Amino acid sequence: MVVLKTENLSRYFGGLMALNRVSMEFRKDEILGIIGPNGAGKTTFINVVAGIYLPTEGKIFFNGRQISDLPAHKRCRLGIGRTFQLVRPLQGLSLLENVMVGALFGNGLRQREARKKAEEWCEFLELSDITRDITRMTALEVKKMEIAHALAAEPKLLFLDEVMAGLNSDETKEMIDLVRKIHSRGIVIGIVEHVMRVIRELTDRVVVLDWGEIIAQGPYEEVSNDPKVIAAYLGEEA
Amino acid sequence: MRISRYLLYIVILIFLLTLPIYTGVYLLNVIDIILIYIALALSWDMLLRSGQISFGIAGLFGVGGYAAVLFHLKLGISPLISILMGGLAAAVLAWLVGMAVLQLRGMYFAIVTLALAEIFRVIIRNLPDLTGGPEGTVLSSAIFAGSSTRTYWLVLAGAIVSIIASEFFRRTRIHFAITSIRNDEIVARSSGIDVFKYLVFIFVITSAIQGMTGGAYAHIYGFVSPEGSFSVDFTLLPIAMALLGGMHLTWGPVLGAVLLGAVSELLKLYIPYGHLLVYGVIIVITILFFPQGILGTLGQRLKKTDTG
Repeated sequence: MVVLKTENLSRYFGGLMALNRVSMEFRKDEILGIIGPNGAGKTTFINVVAGIYLPTEGKIFFNGRQISDLPAHKRCRLGIGRTFQLVRPLQGLSLLENVMVGALFGNGLRQREARKKAEEWCEFLELSDITRDITRMTALEVKKMEIAHALAAEPKLLFLDEVMAGLNSDETKEMIDLVRKIHSRGIVIGIVEHVMRVIRELTDRVVVLDWGEIIAQGPYEEVSNDPKVIAAYLGEEA
Repeated sequence: MRISRYLLYIVILIFLLTLPIYTGVYLLNVIDIILIYIALALSWDMLLRSGQISFGIAGLFGVGGYAAVLFHLKLGISPLISILMGGLAAAVLAWLVGMAVLQLRGMYFAIVTLALAEIFRVIIRNLPDLTGGPEGTVLSSAIFAGSSTRTYWLVLAGAIVSIIASEFFRRTRIHFAITSIRNDEIVARSSGIDVFKYLVFIFVITSAIQGMTGGAYAHIYGFVSPEGSFSVDFTLLPIAMALLGGMHLTWGPVLGAVLLGAVSELLKLYIPYGHLLVYGVIIVITILFFPQGILGTLGQRLKKTDTG
């Protein structure tokens, strides 16, 4: 079953084609990797699907429903969640309150219920001392908080945008286990990542973007040996 | 714990209600002005918590004042109801302006609100049949026939309503929505927050408070004029008060209004019109040395000693 499908999705910024006719499918129970060199359009793809940018052309279907014109907040409520490449914690709110925002607005809960939900997700992600100020958190904790924030909205599809960046190898291992744990709750995951070990260990399928276009897709082993992919990462021979 | 807190509130309230017994008329008039500025400073801060800076306080205050006076004069509506109508007029105006410019937000919003006072000053000046033109309009009597006690109760009620509204904003889901919007709109939108809807709502509510305050002010002095009702003081002083006392808090703007309100009365006695200069110096010192304001800085100090 297909959860999210994009059809010839394009997004231009002026003359720059950030996404060019990208057709992708996210299937139920799947972890899909999205890889590609810097500037390939990975984050733009997430932004267009999440509704931060409207597509220039093309359509997006979520559970069979056309959502290309819906604003971002409605897409979140439908079940499209995402984290951010650069962490964006909400200053002035505690760790728990940051997570609550997802439950309050993405999930439409009242404050008391949202607090309970947020506590559950913090526990799920092994975050402790949750009433603390967010200025006193490690990089790993902030990343976990952002994932909890996204999960509190109860997404059916979750995009993780470079959640491993800046983590050491122990932390990366911990994060890989967490992603598996999230996936085991029945949440479809789209993961953008530069750390190939993570993609190899986690994903069922990989889509490779370059200059806004899909240049290859398939299982990691297959894709990583594709000459086009190698050329995109290493540069073509003259 | 909780009962003793409510008891404290009741004692404070009784003290405030009976204040006219202990004070003279002059002091009561000074307190009236402070209470009016509490409502203005708080309502400005409530919008600031969403990251939107308004320079439109005087515009909404003036529109509320004129609306209240005209509803009373032309339609014979009682002063108290017409004050509410002043708030309603400001709310409708804010809704129209908000729907048009809050899509842009930030700097664009600030500039448009800055123009509000100017636009309405000009419009009102050029409608002499309705508004009295440049000379303004004088009411035959002030509200409550000038009773200083009842006037005080009126503005006290206004200040208390503003404080309750501010606390409501800080304790409900509105707090989470506007704090998210102030931090990062993209995060807010991605979390299911309808950013535009919240901003329009907050702008309308805070403008209604400013309009009602303007209505009360007009009825207390029994007078509206283009220069007096749209005075830049009503924009600058509340902003200075909120900055000095501490932004994003309920008691910050209240403290700022009390301090600056009292200082300005003293200064008016010793150096007429010099008070604006002193305000300027206070704002500069605040921004340079304690940008969080008095309460914000105190809060930070407490937190630091808590950790260290």
